[in-house]
Order: sequence, then structure tokens, then C-alpha cells
Amino acid sequence: MKTERLKKSSFHLPGRPARVPALDREQWIALGFMVPLLLFVVLFILVPVLGTLVDSFFLDVTYLPKRFLGLENYGWLLRDPGFWQSVRFTCLFVVVSVPLEIALGLMIALVLNEQLPMRGLLRACVLIPWAIPAAVSGRVFELIYNYSFGAANYLFRVLHLTERPVNWLGSEAGAFLALVVADSWKTTPFAAIILLAGLSSIPDDLYRQAKVDRATFIQRFSRITLPLLKPVLIVTLLFRTIDALRVFDVIYVLTGGGPGGTTTSLSLFGYHYFSAGDFGYGSAVSVILFLLAFALSIIYVKLGHFEREVS
Amino acid sequence: MKEERLKKILLALGALLTVLFCLSPFFYMALTGLSLHPDFLLPDRPLCITLSHFHTVVASDSVHFVAFLRNSLIISTASAVICVFIASLAAYAITRLPVPGKVFLMFLVLAVSMFPPVSLVSYLFKLMSALGWINTYQGLIFPYVAWTLPLSLWILISYFAQVPKDLDRAGLIDGCSRLQILVKIIFPVAAPGIFSTMLLAFVFAFNEFLFALMLTTDHSARTVPVGIALFEGLYGQIPWGEIMAATTITTIPVVILTLMFQRRIIQGLTRGAVKG
Repeated sequence: MKTERLKKSSFHLPGRPARVPALDREQWIALGFMVPLLLFVVLFILVPVLGTLVDSFFLDVTYLPKRFLGLENYGWLLRDPGFWQSVRFTCLFVVVSVPLEIALGLMIALVLNEQLPMRGLLRACVLIPWAIPAAVSGRVFELIYNYSFGAANYLFRVLHLTERPVNWLGSEAGAFLALVVADSWKTTPFAAIILLAGLSSIPDDLYRQAKVDRATFIQRFSRITLPLLKPVLIVTLLFRTIDALRVFDVIYVLTGGGPGGTTTSLSLFGYHYFSAGDFGYGSAVSVILFLLAFALSIIYVKLGHFEREVS
Repeated sequence: MKEERLKKILLALGALLTVLFCLSPFFYMALTGLSLHPDFLLPDRPLCITLSHFHTVVASDSVHFVAFLRNSLIISTASAVICVFIASLAAYAITRLPVPGKVFLMFLVLAVSMFPPVSLVSYLFKLMSALGWINTYQGLIFPYVAWTLPLSLWILISYFAQVPKDLDRAGLIDGCSRLQILVKIIFPVAAPGIFSTMLLAFVFAFNEFLFALMLTTDHSARTVPVGIALFEGLYGQIPWGEIMAATTITTIPVVILTLMFQRRIIQGLTRGAVKG
């Protein structure tokens, strides 16, 4: 959709040869307009990422002399059980939380897409969890999961789901579930809003025709909604995957990576080394996470067919 | 018609569950902030409503919550304004001018928005330490501007592309420079889109956690998310009442903002993701 508009607006430049070595006046002006953006992106994003890459080849610990190690940091990393544990946790977290968020988000989007009274208010309600800092909502969930007086164990007691209170944040499975729920609560609205945009672009005529043909609700959903929503679903899926892969805030606040390091994400694992002053090793972790995210974003760009549409 | 009725019931149920899902943690949060003791859900504990936690959070010198809130508002507002101005310059060039290497630059910006923050935070920490910018506003504003630029650029491109090019031509004939055209013609016409983008950039900067955690060590520039995350009691026990009072106060402006500008925020988000 975007690219169509771009094509119309900007890619038909009046009769200018594709490769001119010297820039004309207009091009210099154009570059001038781009310079502040490029300066910020290069100085505060690209240079830091390259700096992290360089750091990952060094022994770089505060108060110790910096020493070139080559790939040794990576070698240690591959033999570090803590690293593999965080890889496992991060992958499991992505695999469990992203589909859950998309499924919940789709349900909410289906509700929001209908003609409801106070639809604006309803949409605003959905936005609020998204707009709250994850660190803030993480604190609220920390209280909800409190062993002795939190709301989660209160609900379980009132509904007679368990005989004894659940040790949410103190057990491995409990902490994992707690994180998935807290993260889903915060990010489902985003998925819902994006999917809503996809839903509202499906023409009503299709549904009307389907009704004339006496298609059931399930048929309408599986034959019309899902196929037409597929591109938006894929975009949402990849957006959420890349975001879940770098999860940090909610874990830092809610479990701190515990119990016993079982909920340490790759971001948190790297951060622990940074905060302890070991920049070399932490950088190696960050580089690996970066490569993972980068590979995924390439898939995202490919699936979104950006290349074909832009060029 | 049986199906119609079933659909209505399902919809009402869905709407109710949605509201419950989204808002119940907030009620619990506000109630705990107002309650004298956080354990009011236990069978034999009464609920005593008091404003003392709110008073402590706002008035106590050792909590610094007001400083966190002020820092957050200043840093997020400054980042959003600078970011949107810089992004509009670039969006104007991309939609209207022959930028050399346009496709490459757009891909670069798209790729940058996928970077994990942890892969730049250590270098930013070293950079800010070298500049003496740890615990300063600019030490957070500069990274935040860079961090929110990609999304803002994509959203603004989609808004600017809708502004008719005839306006530019008219401006050029009247002897305006490109910058004058942007500021005097495009800004007023695309004001709603620019405002949406600014809101999103504000929310992103307001919610950012890792940079703020790493680049501040005391209350002079620490933002609300970090302040609340590191909020611990002096005597070992977690002061739930005070923490929930602080989160409630933080939530209020966000709720007002979303209630007022729900449509704008959704429009901006949708453009940033689906179309960008």
C-alpha cells in the first residue's frame, strides 16, 4: 500500500538519467534535507552497532587493559551454558508469546471492527496497555503475582483452581507463564490495532455476498477474512517476532531473569555483562542477537515484497 | 435471524472481555495505591482507603518521583519535537526531491528500526561517558531522536505523499525555497499527520527503558520507567502502596492522551506498520 503511494509520488523523476556522477542542484538540496536524519542514524545507531561489533573481538573489561582476542569471546559463548539457556528461553518465549498475542489480537480486532456503541472509547481502552511503559506495567504484574496477597492467587483461591497458592515468580514454569501473560497484555493491543487496519480494508461487499450465499460465520472467516488478512498477519507476526526476540523491560522488572537464570533473555544476558563492566563478552552476545534480528528483518522485507514494489 | 442474535451476544461478550482484559490491572493498581495495606484481597483484611501513598510519592524528598516525571516529560517532548522536525525534512526530500540512492537509504532506515537496543547500548554508554553526558537530558534526547527517527520517517512519508505536488509548484513559482515550502505550506496542510507522528514518537521515548537504565545513575535525568523499576523500600520490604501510587500517577497523563487522541494514534501506528 505504502509503496504504491511512493511510486506515484516520488519515483517518477522527470527524465533524469539513472547514473549521473555529478549531482545537480536539486539533488544537493535533497541531500541537505536528508543530512540531519543520516547524521543522527549514523552517529547514534550505526556507529554504536559497529562499535559493539569491534568490542566483541576484544577483552574489554573495566579497569583491565584492552586486549585483542579475535573470536575468543564467541568461542567462550558457545561453551557457556548460561548463553544456551538464554537462547532456549528467548526462542521459547517468542514461540509461545507471539502466536498467543496474534490470536488474542485477532479476536479483539474482530470485535473492534464491528459497529458497536462507544467504539472510540473501546479502541482507546485497547490502546492504554500499549501506551504504558513496560517497566511500569511490569511492576503492576509483579504485584499481581505476589505469592501471599497478589490478585492472581486471589483469583485462583476464589475460583478454587488450586489448593495452595501458586509460587508464580519463584518457580520456573510459573515465572515463564507470568512473563508470557504480562508481555501479551502489553503487546496484544498493538497486534489488534494493526490487524484492525487489515480487517477494515476488506470490502464489505464480500461479506454481503457471502451472506446471500448463506455462508456461515466460520466459512466467512476462513474463506474471506483469513486469506485477505494474510499479508497483514505476516507483517504483524514478523514485527512481533523481532520485538519479542529483544524482550528486556518486562523481564528485568518482573523476574530479573530468575529463578536461577531460567527466564534470562538474550538482551538481559548481554546487559548483565555490560552492567558488570565486561563490555567485550556482552558485545558478543549483542552481536548474536543482532544477527538473529537482522536475519528476521530480511525475511520481513522479502515477505513484504518491498524490493519489488519500491524498485 | 438466530445467527444475528448469537452474533450480537458474542460481540457484547467480546467487548466486555476486551475491556476487562485491558483495564482490570489498572483498577487493581489504583486500588492498591489507595489502600493502606497492599494485602486487602486476603479474606480477613479490610480495605482502608487513604491518600497517604500518593502524598509520600509526590512530597517525599527521598523518592524523587516528581523529578523522574519531570525528566520524562522534558526528555520525551524534546525528543519527539526534534525527531519529527528532522524526519519531516527527510520525508519531504524522499517524497518530492531526487534523493541520490533513495531506495538504499529507505532500506537502511527500515533495517535500523529492527536493531535490538542492547546491540548499541554499551557503545552509547562509552560515548556518553566520554562526552560527560551521563545523567544529562541531552545524553538521552540524542539517542531517543535517533531511535524514533525510522518509524517517524515512514509515517511521515505516507502523510506527505498525500499532499498534492501542485502546492510545491505554486510555492516555487512564488519564489519560496524548498525549506520555506516545507515549513509554510506542507506543515500546515499535513499538520494532523505531523501531530500523530509526534504523539507516537513521544510515547516511544516515554516508554524507553534500556537506554535510560544504562545512561543514568541518579535522579538528575532518570526517567519514570527506570525510576519505578528501581523503586525499592528503605527497609527491605517492597513499598507496594507507594509504587502503585507512582504507577497510577504515571498512567493518568497516558490515559488522558490516549482518550483524547485515540484516532490519531491508531492512524499513525497503522501507517507505520502496515504501510511502512
